[in-house]
Amino acid sequence: YINTRVLRGLQSGLSSDRLWSFSSTASVAARSYSHGKQETDEEFDARWVTYFNKPDIDAWELRKGMNTLIGYDLVPEPKILEAALRACRRLNDLASAIRILEAVKDKSGPHKEIYPYVLQELRPTLSELGIPTPEELGIDKA
Amino acid sequence: MAHQAHAYHMVDPSPWPLTGAIAALLMTSGLAIWFHFHSTTLMTLGLILLLLTMYQWWRDIIREGTFQGHHTPPVQKGLRYGMILFITSEVFFFLGFFWAFYHSSLAPTPELGGCWPPTGITPLDPFEVPLLNTAVLLASGVTVTWAHHSIMEGERKQAIQSLALTILLGLYFTALQAMEYYEAPFTIADGVYGSTFFVATGFHGLHVIIGSTFLAVCLLRQIQYHFTSEHHFGFEAAAWYWHFVDVVWLFLYVSIYWWGS
Repeated sequence: YINTRVLRGLQSGLSSDRLWSFSSTASVAARSYSHGKQETDEEFDARWVTYFNKPDIDAWELRKGMNTLIGYDLVPEPKILEAALRACRRLNDLASAIRILEAVKDKSGPHKEIYPYVLQELRPTLSELGIPTPEELGIDKA
Repeated sequence: MAHQAHAYHMVDPSPWPLTGAIAALLMTSGLAIWFHFHSTTLMTLGLILLLLTMYQWWRDIIREGTFQGHHTPPVQKGLRYGMILFITSEVFFFLGFFWAFYHSSLAPTPELGGCWPPTGITPLDPFEVPLLNTAVLLASGVTVTWAHHSIMEGERKQAIQSLALTILLGLYFTALQAMEYYEAPFTIADGVYGSTFFVATGFHGLHVIIGSTFLAVCLLRQIQYHFTSEHHFGFEAAAWYWHFVDVVWLFLYVSIYWWGS
């Protein structure tokens, strides 16, 4: 997931590849418990990618997964979002696919550079699956 | 004169099961008549017959138990099982509505905006009247326990006072909920939010009214010296029912009012 350490990398980096660098084995749990095994960022991401990659995921599970994910204090990694978008494709749910993009923008809060970055990462997938962005549809303004 | 050689109650023939069944038939077919032909006569007839059945059947049970002594220990045990099984069936009834609520709210559809509460819904503040309602019902759980202990200890005046207070708290809850229903910014027709909210809380409210009525009957019986300190199962059944109603409210409050906002 994209946390504030990544943000600092984004802000200071100017080239389009390798916008950030951070030690990849930082152990930060998705939930803050006082004890118990902490999940690494990679484990968190992998778990969620696996969730959305389930071939026979059903519509309820897709919506539940998205709601749970968006409830966390983080912006999901593009690879998780890609898996979710592909799940939308399998379920013929274009509305939810576009809603996912809206949710990313909302979760970014004041960090306005996250959303364009995520769209950039997802561009090949969006083109492949034929998913328009809210901006392209003109529905990003109220 | 012949007498039974066992402690069980062979009930005398009674017309009330038949009138109750007829009432059920008239109410259900009356409902269909109302829907299709706009007449409420048949349904109202069924409702009146139901009320008469309940009054007379339960009056007969009080006569058999309190005045004729048929409620021996094994008979009372059967009545206890019966009440427990009935309350259990009601638990399952409410479980269904909680299932519907969680199904809809854990995975809100795109039509709702993919979020809960759905777009456009302003839920009630859980820390206003709903919290007061929680306090009212919890307090009523205390007063009904006070009433029970009063009955067991032969404290007639206190039993009457605490039972009356319990009923007043129940009525207060009902009045507050009625006001909330009137003032709510959303209706039952407002999507699945409105449906789950009003059906779950509505059936709960109905059970509060039923429970309050049951307790009121117990109050009248207590005033008329029906209960002894050792034997007062009617009251115990009412108290169990009342606690059940309270617990359902706690689940409603935490799930729908608090988490669901």
